[in-house]
Parts: sequence; C-alpha cells; structure tokens
Amino acid sequence: MKKFKIKADVTVVTIVVFLVCIVLVSVMLMQFRTVEQTDITAIENMRESELRTALAEWKNRYEDMNKQLEDVNARITEYRKNIEDNEVAADLIEEELQESNLLVGKTDVYGEGVTVTLNNGDMGVQAYDLIDLVNELRYAGAEAISINGIRVLPMTYIVDMGEYTYIMVDLQRLEAPYVVKAIGDKEELTRVLNLDGSGFVDRAVGIKVSVTAENRVEIPKYNGELDVQYMQEAVQE
Amino acid sequence: MKKKQIAITLGIMCLLLTIAISVQIKTMNSASSTVSQTLADNGLRDEVLRMKERYDNAYSDLQEAQKQLEQVRQEATQDDNTAKAQEAELKENNMILGYTDVVGDGVEVILQDAETTNLSLDVSTQLIHYDDLQNVINELKNAGAEAIEINGQRLTSNTAITCEGNVIKVNGERVGSPFTIRAIGPQELLYGSLRRAGSYLDLIRARGNRADITKVDDITIARYAGVSDVKYLKEDK
Repeated sequence: MKKFKIKADVTVVTIVVFLVCIVLVSVMLMQFRTVEQTDITAIENMRESELRTALAEWKNRYEDMNKQLEDVNARITEYRKNIEDNEVAADLIEEELQESNLLVGKTDVYGEGVTVTLNNGDMGVQAYDLIDLVNELRYAGAEAISINGIRVLPMTYIVDMGEYTYIMVDLQRLEAPYVVKAIGDKEELTRVLNLDGSGFVDRAVGIKVSVTAENRVEIPKYNGELDVQYMQEAVQE
Repeated sequence: MKKKQIAITLGIMCLLLTIAISVQIKTMNSASSTVSQTLADNGLRDEVLRMKERYDNAYSDLQEAQKQLEQVRQEATQDDNTAKAQEAELKENNMILGYTDVVGDGVEVILQDAETTNLSLDVSTQLIHYDDLQNVINELKNAGAEAIEINGQRLTSNTAITCEGNVIKVNGERVGSPFTIRAIGPQELLYGSLRRAGSYLDLIRARGNRADITKVDDITIARYAGVSDVKYLKEDK
C-alpha cells in the first residue's frame, strides 16, 4: 500500500515536472522572439532621433525662409507706397543698399567671434590649411572672415607661393603667423573647431594652432574693386 | 529521502519558471511601448515631409516676391539718377552674393570616381574627396571665376563643403560623383590654368579618376536656394 502510494507520487511528480518543462521551454521561446524584435526596434529608435533632427532642421529653414519672405513683402509694400505718392524711393534704396553692402563685404564690420592663429611648427603653414580653416568657419556659421586683415569673400583664393614660404590671398602676399578672424556665434565657432578628432585643431598636424573666443572681433572691408565683368543677370522668362 | 529530492527539484523548477516569466513580462512591456513608438515614427515622418513642403512653398513664394521687388524697385528709382545707380549696385551685389541666377561664358569641370577600382592600390585614392573639390574650386577662383556651382549648388560666402562619413555636402545638400563644377569668368584663363601640366586636375587624373574640363558658352548658374541671414555682423562706422 505504502509502496503504491510512492509510485503514484512519482508519476504525478513526473507529469508535473514534464508540464513545467514544456511551459518553461515555450516561455523561453517566446522570450527569444521578443528579444529579437527589440533588436529591430533599437534601429527604429535611432531612426526616430534622426527624424527629430530632420524635423528641427526643416523647421529652422522654414522659419528663416518665412522671415525673409515677410521682409521682402514689407519692402514691396513700401516701394508701392512711394510709387503711389510719386516720390523717389531714395531712403528705401539707400537702406537696402547699406544692408547689402554689409553682406557683400564693402563695409568694416565687428561682432563676437573667434581669432585663430596659425604658426609654423614642424611643418610650414600651407595654403590648404587656410582653405580648410575658412571652410570650417563657414560651416560653423561665420558671417565674415579675414586673414591677416584681408577680407575673405566668396571668390577669394588662397595659394602657396615660393616653396611654401608665403601664401597669396587675393593678390596680397602674407607670411606666418596667419591670424584668421571670424565673426559669428563664438561658442559654436569654438566648439566646431575643437571637435574631438574631426575639428580643425585636431586635424592640423605639424603646425601651431590657437583659438580664442572674443566678444569683439573687427574685420575690415574688402580692399579692392568688386567689379563684375563676366556674369550677367540671367533674364527671367 | 526521495520526497525531499523531489521537493528540491520542484523548487528549482519553480524558481526558474518565475524568473523566466518575470523577464518575459518585462521584455513584453518594453516591446509593446516600441510598437507605439513606431506609430509615432510614422507621424514624425509625415511631419518632416509637411515641414519640407511648407519650406518649398515659402521658397517659391520668396522667388516670386523678389521678382516683384525688383520690378517695383526699378519703377520707384527710375526718375532719380542717384537712386538708379544705387539700384544697379544692389543688383550687382546680389549677383556676387549668389541671390540671382547669372549667365556668362566659362568652363565646366567634371570629376568622377575611378570606374574600375584597382583593389591592389589604396581604394581611397580612387575616389573624389571633398578636399579635391576645395582645391579645384580654389584654382578656379585663382583664375578669376566670378560665380561657381557644384552639382547645382551655388557657392556663396556661407558655403561650406563638408564630408560626413562618405557623404559630401555642399550648402548642406548631398552631392555625389560625378561632380559637375561650373564656373563663369575669363574663359581662356580658367581653361588654360586648369589645363596646365601639374594642375590639380592632373593630380586627380594620376590617381585613376576622371577629371575633364571643357569651355562652355552661356552657362546659367542658378541662385543659392536658401537664405542667408546675419545675426552677429554689425557695421563698424
């Protein structure tokens, strides 16, 4: 009798253990599937942050564009009023021209920004260092740039002369140290130049670079004639 | 004795089961939250597209408004010689700044990654890099270019050429090989100086890439498709 009871017990236990095993295995399988899914959603999550960046970027661009559109429309209204009143729009055109001259580089300018000094180290400073630096400053939002007091315009060239002993910037002969000034958000300019590994400071090997953020950087106007000889306004159809 | 063994086995089983189930529940929870995130993702994607559309609309409105502005400006300044001269200068400024479509004679340079990569050489040299673009553009500027574009992107005073991983961007827009660089300026000079032996095009060719230059008359270079606003620049009177 007692023996039989034990036997029955063993059967029950075996069945229970078997059931438990099945449940356990199926739970584990489900588990694995979900884990697999979560891996995919990790990529999905990354996409989301990318989307957020893109959204913010487009929003900014839209707002800038919209502001410009409002400005232009306001100008049109003002000019129209002048025409209606039969007045010469002398003040208006004067104001527009002043703003435009500021953008082109025909005026002395100041503002917060950075001063970057390049000096010869184990290697001499080459034109490409300056080209690269100017490009990076523009990327970081520089609104005006000068090299040793020469205003850098969109069509300004920078070339090596005489076995890298000096550099020509728009017909002017410059020698080290090269003092590059830029007006813009000084924190952003400094941050971009100092980006770990990829910023100009880390990339410039063999030359000496120093970056100083300043509250007032002064940049002179373009010292020359800005005449257009070869291009014309395209006729709008 | 046997009962004890069974009890221990069951205990361990139960423990494992509980752990497995609780892990399972936790993963399930996070998985279901990612489902809603994917939904949010789609919403976000729509939002990005909508914002881009708003930007595109604002941009075409701006182009329209700027044409109108030019018309009313011309009308409002035609009776006064000073104002007329200022209007002409403003137009010239806008060409230099890249705010208008321009036309003129010049050259077209095409740079293309090597078609068949020779794996025994460094593959990286058989690609066109962003510093190649910088150098070719610098040579064009040196030869007197007045307006330049890379794959439709006009170079302005704010233009940066960047390399993010293997993506090259100009004005924040992706550009890829083949790169078509078009420049308006003194045609013979542009052509001659980029064709000379030892020019940068030669160096690119020596690495197995394609680098061609042709003279082209009446090149139209489109305006910069964005707005540049200054926030830090002030006139120093």
